[in-house]
Amino acid sequence: MGLELEPLFQAWSCFRRRKFRQCSDLCAQLLEGPPGGQEADSEYSVFQAAWSLKTRALTEMVYVDEIDMDEEGIAEVILDENAIAQVARPGTSLKLPGTSQGGGPSPAVRPVTQSGRPITGFVRPSTQSGRPSTMEQAIKTPRTALTARPITSASGRYARLGTASMLTNPDGPFINLSRLNLSKYAQKPKLAKALFEYIFHHENDVKNALDLAALATEHAQFKDWWWKVQIGKCYYRLGLYREAEKQFKSALKQQDMVDTVLYLAKVYLRLDQPVTALNLFKQGLDRFPGEVTLICGIARIYEEMNNISSAAEYYKDVLKQDNTHVEAIACIGSNHFYSDQPEIALRFYRRLLQMGVYNCQLFNNLGLCCFYAQQYDMTLSSFERALFLAENEEETADVWYNLGHVAVGIGDLNLAYQCFKLTLVNNNDYAEAYNNLAVLEMRKGHIEQARALLQTASSLAPHMYEPHFNFAILSEKVGDLQRSYTAAQKSEEAFPGHVDTQQLIKQLKQHFAML
Amino acid sequence: MSLFKARDWWSTILGEKEEFDLGCLCVADVDNSGSGQDKIIVGSYMGYLRIFNPHPVKPGDEVQPEDLLLEVQLREPILQVEVGKFVSGTEGLHLAVLHCRKLCVYAVSGTLGNVEHGNQYQIKLMYEHNLQRTACNMTYGPFGGVKGRDLICIQSMDGMLMLFEQESYAFGRFLPGFLLPGPLTYSSRTDSFITVSSCRQVESYKYQVLAFATDADERQETEQQKLSSGKRLAVDWVLNIGEQALDICVVSFNQAVSSVFVLGERNFFCLKDNGQIRFMKKLDYNPSCFIPYCSVKEGTINTLIANHSKMLNVYQDVTLKWATQLPYIPVSIKVANLQDLKGVIVTLSDDGHLQCSYLGTDPSLFQAPKVDSREINYEEFDAEMKKLQKIIKEATKTQDILPKSEKHRDVIVTAEVSPDLDAESQAIDSEVKAESVPSVTVKITIQSRVTAQKPNLAVCVQAPLAVTCDQFVFDDLEPDSSETVMLSVFLKGNCSPSELEGNCLVSYNRPTELNPEGIPKVAECNFSLPLRLICFPAQPSKAANHKITIDTNKPPISFVTIFPDFVDPSEDDQTNVLGFQFLTGSKTTLLASKTSQRYRIQSDQLEDLWLITKQLKLRLEEHFKKQNCKDFACTFSGSIPLQEYFELIDQHFELRLNAEKFRELLSERAVQFRAIERRLLTRFKDKTPAPLQHLDTLLEGTFREVIALADAAEENQANVFRAFTKLKSATHLVIMLISLWQKLSADQVAILEATFLPLAEDTQELGWEETVDAAISYLLRTCLSKSSKEQALTLGSQLCMPKDTSRLKKNITLFCDRLAKGGRLSLSTDSATQQAVVMPGGCTTIPESDLEERTVIPGSTATLPSHGQMAKQKSKPALSEDAAEEAEKP
Repeated sequence: MGLELEPLFQAWSCFRRRKFRQCSDLCAQLLEGPPGGQEADSEYSVFQAAWSLKTRALTEMVYVDEIDMDEEGIAEVILDENAIAQVARPGTSLKLPGTSQGGGPSPAVRPVTQSGRPITGFVRPSTQSGRPSTMEQAIKTPRTALTARPITSASGRYARLGTASMLTNPDGPFINLSRLNLSKYAQKPKLAKALFEYIFHHENDVKNALDLAALATEHAQFKDWWWKVQIGKCYYRLGLYREAEKQFKSALKQQDMVDTVLYLAKVYLRLDQPVTALNLFKQGLDRFPGEVTLICGIARIYEEMNNISSAAEYYKDVLKQDNTHVEAIACIGSNHFYSDQPEIALRFYRRLLQMGVYNCQLFNNLGLCCFYAQQYDMTLSSFERALFLAENEEETADVWYNLGHVAVGIGDLNLAYQCFKLTLVNNNDYAEAYNNLAVLEMRKGHIEQARALLQTASSLAPHMYEPHFNFAILSEKVGDLQRSYTAAQKSEEAFPGHVDTQQLIKQLKQHFAML
Repeated sequence: MSLFKARDWWSTILGEKEEFDLGCLCVADVDNSGSGQDKIIVGSYMGYLRIFNPHPVKPGDEVQPEDLLLEVQLREPILQVEVGKFVSGTEGLHLAVLHCRKLCVYAVSGTLGNVEHGNQYQIKLMYEHNLQRTACNMTYGPFGGVKGRDLICIQSMDGMLMLFEQESYAFGRFLPGFLLPGPLTYSSRTDSFITVSSCRQVESYKYQVLAFATDADERQETEQQKLSSGKRLAVDWVLNIGEQALDICVVSFNQAVSSVFVLGERNFFCLKDNGQIRFMKKLDYNPSCFIPYCSVKEGTINTLIANHSKMLNVYQDVTLKWATQLPYIPVSIKVANLQDLKGVIVTLSDDGHLQCSYLGTDPSLFQAPKVDSREINYEEFDAEMKKLQKIIKEATKTQDILPKSEKHRDVIVTAEVSPDLDAESQAIDSEVKAESVPSVTVKITIQSRVTAQKPNLAVCVQAPLAVTCDQFVFDDLEPDSSETVMLSVFLKGNCSPSELEGNCLVSYNRPTELNPEGIPKVAECNFSLPLRLICFPAQPSKAANHKITIDTNKPPISFVTIFPDFVDPSEDDQTNVLGFQFLTGSKTTLLASKTSQRYRIQSDQLEDLWLITKQLKLRLEEHFKKQNCKDFACTFSGSIPLQEYFELIDQHFELRLNAEKFRELLSERAVQFRAIERRLLTRFKDKTPAPLQHLDTLLEGTFREVIALADAAEENQANVFRAFTKLKSATHLVIMLISLWQKLSADQVAILEATFLPLAEDTQELGWEETVDAAISYLLRTCLSKSSKEQALTLGSQLCMPKDTSRLKKNITLFCDRLAKGGRLSLSTDSATQQAVVMPGGCTTIPESDLEERTVIPGSTATLPSHGQMAKQKSKPALSEDAAEEAEKP
């Protein structure tokens, strides 16, 4: 095969086929050659073209959509000066969980996360972190086996990401940012955009990226919405949300774009203004009807605000537009599961399975749905598969925990006991397993052990009402009314609507009155 | 992610190791057969040109040889193939082939044979143009509104549009601001070229403008085709889409208005003729190619978009109508009419898979791999289950894993302490202020009878003693081999240790047949260190604050015999008095009574008595053992020095209180520090910076305070440690005195030790005072209790630091009283240990010091919760519901 393609054309073609490694190698060869062959007066040169192409290829290798990146570290939470009111009105803030108006399920039915939200059906970057209120609490927050510490600061993490991507180049970084004359590049829009993305995504050097974007937008006489969005992205990463909002708004005025709407909504969410974000999404939908990402954004906000029924409506809308949307299917499925319709949930999860989702979590959910839908033949084999597919100990622990549930359901308490023990072997932070073990111990009459287990559970997960309530019951049975009362109060704090807790407190108060 | 896969109608693999890209596939009735049947034309970067006319008998058939109408190898790589009316004077379709530096137009014709496989096809070169610049891609159309013929426009790699009016070259134009070529297309409605530039804008150039611009520099052009123009081209319209585009397409179907479709890297745009966005869709995958193919519903256009996750999505405007799986990532996609079958999807991958497929409900068969499951033999399983249950039951009964019997140890570790101190001291970094700190050599030998993998030796002595090296890693030990290491022990911290013992531990992996990684195992051994390590003989002193007297039932022994290392035998004038000078500075004197069977130990500090007393007792016992005298016994008749002991407790406790104070102060300052930081942050964030108002000074000051406090806290911590060492020495002494005083048996002494010397470390959250207090009050309530009333008292469930030590002191006094009155220590009824059990997990510890048997209150037997309650607690299913679905998006 002696036919030789022009190297630049070949690199360009590789880039289009997403063969970035090959593309960057070809460009490197071009760049190594003498920069001759360019006409003196021409503003075009092969050298520039290859440089720009390599920049783009390197960026694409590590590109992650900025909209999906969301992590809030301690530093961001503590030094958050954007809060408008100390106590927000109900329904206007994401920080106050439990202000449910949409008739979501109670915590007795659907477990809640640490921040007090019902558990969702789809893990997204922002669903896992709670918002601790003080630094002390943040540091003391029970850690899981996976994360030893809460994330200290998002900016620190980005810096580490940057160094990691640099390791892939043995000869050091492709572009030495400190030697770059940014103002020179800012005047060449064709190079500047690729360069910006490289600095932002590949090097994760927000400060330099911002400098470049600021110069470039000036050069473009503030008429290029793209640069405004990029400045907004930089501001967002730097934590300057108000400034980011200004940039995004200005960009939206120039040109309606889905991405800009999503970025702006993200800013509003960070500023804890979910209602504004909702309105923005709805305006965006007027402009881009049927845009899946926008509808999905609305559904997520409703879900976070505990308005489960609206969230489900919007997830259904998502499916009308895109019926292969995994997140929507999973969320509707889990919603059905928790509203006591395991058969319907089963159908959603089965759909996911048919679509080729093949992981531990799915089989875990299938197993549970099968159990509650009384399809016992499939239950154990589903769990067996889930165990087989479990990638880490956390997942294994989840499966064993659920198996323990099934065992309780069929009345095999010995098996249940061992399942919960196995859960703790795999993940010794599993507060729910501690609680359930305690209940089993209580049945066996081992009161002291039950007590110790309940205390462990409540210290691991103060947001759960069950350990507190069980502890109250236990103490009351033993006759330790004082301790029972304090525990019952904690339980009420975690779940104000729990009828049994209220009855217990009433009963205890009567006791105290009699004394 | 899709339920279905594309159904294969006809497919083939082209060549070997050939490369294809976007322009390499074209579908048209290229041989002008007039039947309306499309042929598939494929060119490769290797220069092969192939034309197919697939006609399988039934879907999925093998490729017939006659399906391939033509295969020729051209001498240059084929970048793009297009079919149009390229030859003047005829409206017939011709094939244009774009090479790097050449454009060729061929006529394809066929001669029908008698049978189908007798058909012959050939290509004939109509004309060719040599190009001055490297070509990239081309587009064609009736530029300028000409009727019945197509003109060609080629974009070069360096941004020149070269226009050819069929056989003749018309003109060339440079695109302004060009860097890398983008997709190019021609819109006949507006008579303009549309491309996406490196500035990430969709740009439209009118053909008229391009053509008129020629006049300005025609002279140059005629001279040299390659020279660029000085004049800027005026752009018709520009739309900034903010990303690079993969492909661009202009379509107008009868029902729908004409639109420009742009497939970007992350979004999909539909533009109006004037460059406004009609709609856009954010793609959550990496698209590879697309084609708008028809309009099913009025006002909407259907588009096929293929992506890099091997999926083909069918959109009606922005709504996903169908998704199907493809066997590969396509680089080019077309829709063709083949063999009376309309709308066949033709896809080409970059390594030459060519497939004609149609949509259908063939499930994409995802076969979940089999779980490794065995044939179930219920009887065997039952038996195994029973066995395992039994083991589990046994294991849960005995809380500790009992050590294996010593008989057949695989690895033996022995430590030998050399009898003499090192001639040259090995001590390093010692804080002791003595002139010379002695050290003693310990020789540790590991003998292995089996293969031991990754043996790791750890040597540990209680601080303030230290070793020169505490970790040794060896290579794997062969059977019957041994390793020896030498190390030195010396006094590091500036206080006397509470015990003169060390411990060495070997951890290793022992591989078995089933487990080649090895089962982790340990072997350990203890060694005791000589007294000379921490003290040396000195002049005895008569007066001392603390004195204790030990009675024995044998006549006193000369110190020359039992303390040979401290007494110089040459000067035996004072064999009944011996002075010890500790390295840390204090002195202890040992006196033997000449007449009675008594020994007296005296010192200025209570804690210094302990080591000497212990040594005395040990050496006496050893001495009598040698003489085969079995009834030797020591007793203590004086009062236990509780008052002095309490002073030590108070010292320790006060330091703990100090630590608490430091911690509070530290957290206060930290809060202050963060508050200032926050203030500063808002100031700095402001667009118009306000004056700092000395906030920086305040920040600096607070920072200094924090550092100073942290230093003080650290120092305090060191003091706490020293105080605790003293306390431990004194506690040992008290335990010994109590046991001698009451003549306690060995297991009672063990209980006593467990009570007073918890294994848990002394920390701020869980310190010695509360742990010992809990243990003593437990003993007071159980075996030492006077009445059943006392037994009923429940203990606080959580241990926390007490406010003062009065309760502890009271309890210790009471404890001694009860023992004096004949109390007996025993734990016979319960198996649980005394130690506070540190529960895993959070940072607080939960002691399990209460025992289950004790809490049964007479009269209240029903501790079981009602069944309804049970169900309530259980109905909280599945935390992991939540953990679901991290799977990638479709």
